[in-house]
Amino acid sequence: MPFVSIDVWTIIMQWGNLLILLWLIKKFLFKPVMSILEARENEIKNMYDEAEEARSTADELKTQYTAKLNNARDEADEIVKTAVKTAKNTSDEIISDAQDKATALIERANEKIEVERKSAINQAKNDLSDMALTIAGKVIERDINAADHSKMIDKFIEELGDAS
Amino acid sequence: MEGPKILFTIPYLNINVTETVVDTWLVMAVVTILCIWLTHGLEIVPRTKRQLAAEKLVSMVNNMVLNTMGHRYISFAPYIAALFATSMIGSLSSLIGLRPLTADFSTTLAWALLAFIMIQGNNIRLNGIGGWLKGFLDPVPFMLPLNLVSEIANPISMSFRHFGNIAAGMVITSLLYSALAALSSFILGWIPNEFVASIPLFQLGLPAILSIYFDVFTSFLQAYIICMLTMVYVSGVDSRE
Repeated sequence: MPFVSIDVWTIIMQWGNLLILLWLIKKFLFKPVMSILEARENEIKNMYDEAEEARSTADELKTQYTAKLNNARDEADEIVKTAVKTAKNTSDEIISDAQDKATALIERANEKIEVERKSAINQAKNDLSDMALTIAGKVIERDINAADHSKMIDKFIEELGDAS
Repeated sequence: MEGPKILFTIPYLNINVTETVVDTWLVMAVVTILCIWLTHGLEIVPRTKRQLAAEKLVSMVNNMVLNTMGHRYISFAPYIAALFATSMIGSLSSLIGLRPLTADFSTTLAWALLAFIMIQGNNIRLNGIGGWLKGFLDPVPFMLPLNLVSEIANPISMSFRHFGNIAAGMVITSLLYSALAALSSFILGWIPNEFVASIPLFQLGLPAILSIYFDVFTSFLQAYIICMLTMVYVSGVDSRE
């Protein structure tokens, strides 16, 4: 063949060859690579979708938990308040009770003291009248009729008691 | 310089099968085996450099087509890949002693004519036959001959450019070899020993350096140019955004 030549059959053959190679490259290089790239893209998209879903779920849970936490805090506050109130009421009751009891005790004690005092005074009066009778009897050397003079003696003691 | 040799003739049909066509078959075989090797066992999460290379290749071609032609012509990518691979590997085949298939004008003319057909076909597809014919009268009917010449000049310039670069590289390389052989025999010829005098000493080394430009660089560049021109011309008739 000459150096620069146009051979129709070579041209036709080269067309055929190029088209066959086009088909081969498409089948063995482009299709597999493009399908794997597409698969990867899909997988990445799926992963993003899943991550997005997980994130939204987490957000939702977070709001729920925050609300629950706030509720719990309010409830706790309420409980503490009620407890404090109850305790205060109870302590007030106890204190007033104790005061009442103490007052009653003091009154009873006062009463008892009064009774004791009165009986002691009476005892002392009796003792004194006896002593006075004896002393008077000794002084006048005469038996004083207790019954006759008891009135007078009582009066004396009365005056004595009043003076005291 | 000789043209491509006729290796055999298909009987009855009387078709001459030249060196060029057989070399093309070799290139096709190499490219196909390479593709099969690159894409076997692909995984969604790439684990081998082989897969990364395959993906890189595909996305490079896709990006090139996308940037030059736009997203409407993305299906052109395999054609561009096939053209690029045949052109480049076919030109580089001179490195292993084959006759580069792009140093045959019939090959580059075939590719340029295919581009021409695609350009006109795309034009007709977009504008209709009326619009296509009217396009030759733009902007004034007086321009008709010039428009025709420019359309016809496209495949001719495209094919001659590619053919010329590779064939010239081949010619220069063989001229260089014979010049270096002459230089060797001129200098070593003074030595009376016949064996020593026949050693082509200066053919060692220097042609390899020039070969980097004439074979490797030119092969790559011409493959790139013919692909670019095909893409630009085919999408050039498309005025849509």
